[in-house]
Amino acid sequence: MKSREQEYREIFMAEALEYYDAMSRHISELEKDPADEKALNELFRLMHNLKANARAMGHSDIGEVAHRMETIFGLIRSKERAFEGSLVPVLFTGVDTLGSMIRAVGEGEKTANADPLLANLERLVNGEEPVFEEDPDLASDEDATRKLELSDLVYIQIKKLDHLLNLVGELIIDRDRILTLSQEIGNPALQSTAAHLFRIADDLQYSVMDARLVNVGSLFNKFPRVVRDVATAEQKDVELAILGQDIQIDRNILQIITDALLHLVRNAIGHGLETPEVRVKAGKTAEGHLTLSAQTERDDVLIQVIDDGRGIDVESVRKKAVERGLTTAEAARNLDADAVRAFLFEPGFSMAKEVTDISGRGVGLDVVKLAIDSLGGQLRVDSVLGQGTTFSLVLPTSIAVKGALLFEIADRSYAIPLMHTDSVVSLWPDEMHVIGGVLLARVLHENIPVVNLHDLLNSSEDGVLPTANKGSLVGRQDIIIVNYNNRKLGLIVDRFLRQQDIVIKPMSKPLDMIDLFGGVTLLGSGQVCLVLDVPALTRLFLAKRP
Amino acid sequence: MPESESTSEKKTVKQDKLIQLIVFRLGEEEYGIRIEQVKEVTVTPEVARMPKTPAFVKGIANLRGDIIAIIDLEERFKLRSASEPVTGVTYTLAVEAKDYTIGIVVREVPQPLSIPISIIEKAPEFIQDINIHDKYIEGIAKVDERIIIVLDMLKLLTPEEIMQLQPKSESSPAKPRT
Repeated sequence: MKSREQEYREIFMAEALEYYDAMSRHISELEKDPADEKALNELFRLMHNLKANARAMGHSDIGEVAHRMETIFGLIRSKERAFEGSLVPVLFTGVDTLGSMIRAVGEGEKTANADPLLANLERLVNGEEPVFEEDPDLASDEDATRKLELSDLVYIQIKKLDHLLNLVGELIIDRDRILTLSQEIGNPALQSTAAHLFRIADDLQYSVMDARLVNVGSLFNKFPRVVRDVATAEQKDVELAILGQDIQIDRNILQIITDALLHLVRNAIGHGLETPEVRVKAGKTAEGHLTLSAQTERDDVLIQVIDDGRGIDVESVRKKAVERGLTTAEAARNLDADAVRAFLFEPGFSMAKEVTDISGRGVGLDVVKLAIDSLGGQLRVDSVLGQGTTFSLVLPTSIAVKGALLFEIADRSYAIPLMHTDSVVSLWPDEMHVIGGVLLARVLHENIPVVNLHDLLNSSEDGVLPTANKGSLVGRQDIIIVNYNNRKLGLIVDRFLRQQDIVIKPMSKPLDMIDLFGGVTLLGSGQVCLVLDVPALTRLFLAKRP
Repeated sequence: MPESESTSEKKTVKQDKLIQLIVFRLGEEEYGIRIEQVKEVTVTPEVARMPKTPAFVKGIANLRGDIIAIIDLEERFKLRSASEPVTGVTYTLAVEAKDYTIGIVVREVPQPLSIPISIIEKAPEFIQDINIHDKYIEGIAKVDERIIIVLDMLKLLTPEEIMQLQPKSESSPAKPRT
């Protein structure tokens, strides 16, 4: 696999060469028709982009030439200079020089000295006449080495990549099937071919997934402007810090979280950060700090929106939750801070006292939650009153393949995405207790409600689950502990099977109306395996608990 | 292939047009579906039961890589009580509904049959008595001594119809609507 560095260099090269081609084209157009404003604007823009890219990559000499050229095109645009006379050959030389410098970078050579050109550009800016050095060698050399080049970069519609990814998904399923069959048949030649197919398909899958990765920065870099606008509207001083722009993530995942992130950022500025006066009074800097950060966490990407504002008042959320009837006053008293903060993600739950343009319409965090759920990700909120709030989004790097835990109930295979599994335990019945009709297990100093998944899935439409009865449990119980929205739930299953990467196919119509299943996958045996949706399962348990 | 206009009013206009039906047995009667609505007929693959679905939804199955829902219309139409399970080999008609494919389980091998469209007669009102709302029925065809009920799958198989969405209130969702 290529290093990140090298990949950037290739992208820079491809873009720079493309810019050069466009510059050559536009400057010729401008020569034919000096009044061609479109060509002029385009040249200005290309110079500007090239300057920025070259400087970011550390090619300051290219950046310098592009900068001076940009200045002159700027002057021409503002009608302070005209595209005529001795200015024309200097600019042509400038474009050619840029071209040869870019090529030199591409071949890993030192870029030629551009001082005479820079001096001439300087003179033009100052309104002096350029000085042409007679250098026939250089001129002929330039003509001789002029090559036609095609860009190394291909732009591709995301639709085509989606299609490719779907095909790879199908391929992986068939691959697993063939592998299973080859083991059953036991023919050595077939087995080695199947093993080879396995490796190739694996490589193919990762290559396709890799092709879909983009930098988180491509989204983050849109935020300075958003923050500025929102901060101005809310009359707050906000300093935005962006970290981890080069973390890579699937383009579609980034697309899906765009609105969620926008919402969190607006929220942080609208509700989280205080006005400068309040901040100073609280002993903070007048300027609020907002951080957007991305980092890899095992196979996932962790995106955080961190503010150092007033934090979330757990007690007022607790009160509000009771007012809204989400829980009883008594139950609310016993909930810990994490569980209380989870109410913020309930539909329509808003803590805003006044509705502003920016936030507080009661459509809010539940939308963020839904977007993250749809990706099979996790959303968490941590907050210290008076010190700030952190929203954490744990996202899969890629949509296609998810780690999952396979298990059996009533001789049928089911899968639960690893993203939502906390741990697996095997407990004897006497390690569990029935409290208030619900089975509770003590796992790692935590009391976790436990339910028999078979009973939960087959519970009748109306009514609740029967009260738990330890007598029905015989022998060790395999329990999967799932975690959703800070709520843990233990699921008793018949048997753990294994951990496996699966390709989840969306549920086909009309069965997609049942939200209990996030999709299906085909196992190597050809068997259809339902993938449970932990958020829906948790909701079902809350609705059905005795 | 004849044009698949599915209104029975046209019977007087298009006298000689032949249509092809796939004919199968549900309960005691023979039913037909226009061949262009049938994607394929196959021995019923392994079906995975899906919790939280009405009893007549047998589950989902893998049909050449497509995961489709398999339903039992005999149960759906109450032509056989749910307590007598289907045994032995069954066949599945993969039917193209509006924007998805669904599998219908039948007990005998479905047969193709060509009939002139003119012999399809509009269904009489009493059909409602057997729990199939008459709008699903394109008409009734008499072929020799046989009577074939021609279904219009596009009208029958809206997702809501299939799932009989009656949220939470009903404990046995297979109950027909009244």
